[in-house]
Amino acid sequence: MRTKRLLSVLLLAVTFVAGTGVTLAADAKAENPKAVKAQMEIDKADKARKKAASVESEWTTTGKLIKKAQAALKKGDYDTATRLAKQAGEQGEIAYEQGASQKELRMPSYLKY
Amino acid sequence: MPASQVIERICLEKRHIMKKTLIKMGALFLAGGVALAAQAATPEEDRTAFTNHYKFRFPDVPMEEYPNGAYAIDKIGRENWEAIEEFPPYEPFIDEGQEMWETPFANGKTYKDCFSDGPGIKSQYPRWDKKQGMVITMALAINQCREANGEKALKYKKGPIVPLMSYMAFESRGQITNVVIPEDDPRAMAAYESGKKFYFTRRGQLNFSCATCHVQNTGLKVRTEVLSPSLGHTTHWPVYRSKWGTAGTLHRRFTGCNRNIRAKPMKAQGEQYRNLEYFLTYLSNGLTLNGPGARK
Repeated sequence: MRTKRLLSVLLLAVTFVAGTGVTLAADAKAENPKAVKAQMEIDKADKARKKAASVESEWTTTGKLIKKAQAALKKGDYDTATRLAKQAGEQGEIAYEQGASQKELRMPSYLKY
Repeated sequence: MPASQVIERICLEKRHIMKKTLIKMGALFLAGGVALAAQAATPEEDRTAFTNHYKFRFPDVPMEEYPNGAYAIDKIGRENWEAIEEFPPYEPFIDEGQEMWETPFANGKTYKDCFSDGPGIKSQYPRWDKKQGMVITMALAINQCREANGEKALKYKKGPIVPLMSYMAFESRGQITNVVIPEDDPRAMAAYESGKKFYFTRRGQLNFSCATCHVQNTGLKVRTEVLSPSLGHTTHWPVYRSKWGTAGTLHRRFTGCNRNIRAKPMKAQGEQYRNLEYFLTYLSNGLTLNGPGARK
């Protein structure tokens, strides 16, 4: 009985310490300006990707870059996450312009009528 | 932003990411392929323009060779292909498809109840369905038949639909491609135009359109592959592709093409690809159906 109680107390203590640790780590991540910036760039990139998709012009590479950026952010590699997200964002913008600039059908010069 | 600036920006992006050889190819394509003003043409004018283009590029290739794809213009590839055709890898798919065709659904009906002229009905597809207001492909018609008989729809790129379509294609061999765009429904022409627009739209990180490979650069190589002409693109599906190690559908190939140029593919049998099939098959009007086929 005493052992059981002792084990319960120990388990509670471990849970508390681990929980506090996770919260502190999450807080630290949230407060880290680099982490905030990385998250901001990821959100921006995803918005750009969706914008490109709205004109059926999304590239396969953009979503992959965003996923890699998210993984880097999760690992705490904020610089890599920001760099990848920026690259993805630029791709999204170019892809949108690519689709939007071809709204009308334009026939190529090499096909003669 | 003007198109020239977009192309310029895409080129910049390429310079950062792509390998040297790809950049050289992209530059070559862009130099010869800057889009001009919109050009209205009838479907028959489109078909004539494509036919004349290939006749000019490959004056020694007779029109009846085009259903053989790249093997009409690639001598070495053709030797290999002819050797493969001696023991066609798609044969087991035809047998399996025949069994599927003959096996009744749970309600006792068969595919024959949906397709009274079947199984050799490939030349009837794709066709414009006025009632549904959309292009109906053979794959879609198969699934509409299944669902009407209480069966689950089949997947469109690979799996059980492939043997069934292989059998139907085999039974359709010798028929002539004859896509009709009915004049009494403007939506049919709109679907054709939508397919044409898809075909000529540059997409993906490589900024290629279907035409970049299959009109402008037909006969040239991408790595070891000879780029095939678009005339005949639709005659021989489903295809056993050595790369896949199995047979697959035309829409699976569309998906692969889009991925190759790093463009996010559309949904198989979605509106875009069905309209593309409508346009592309119209171009092959007059060519003989020779599916299923084998390709590298």
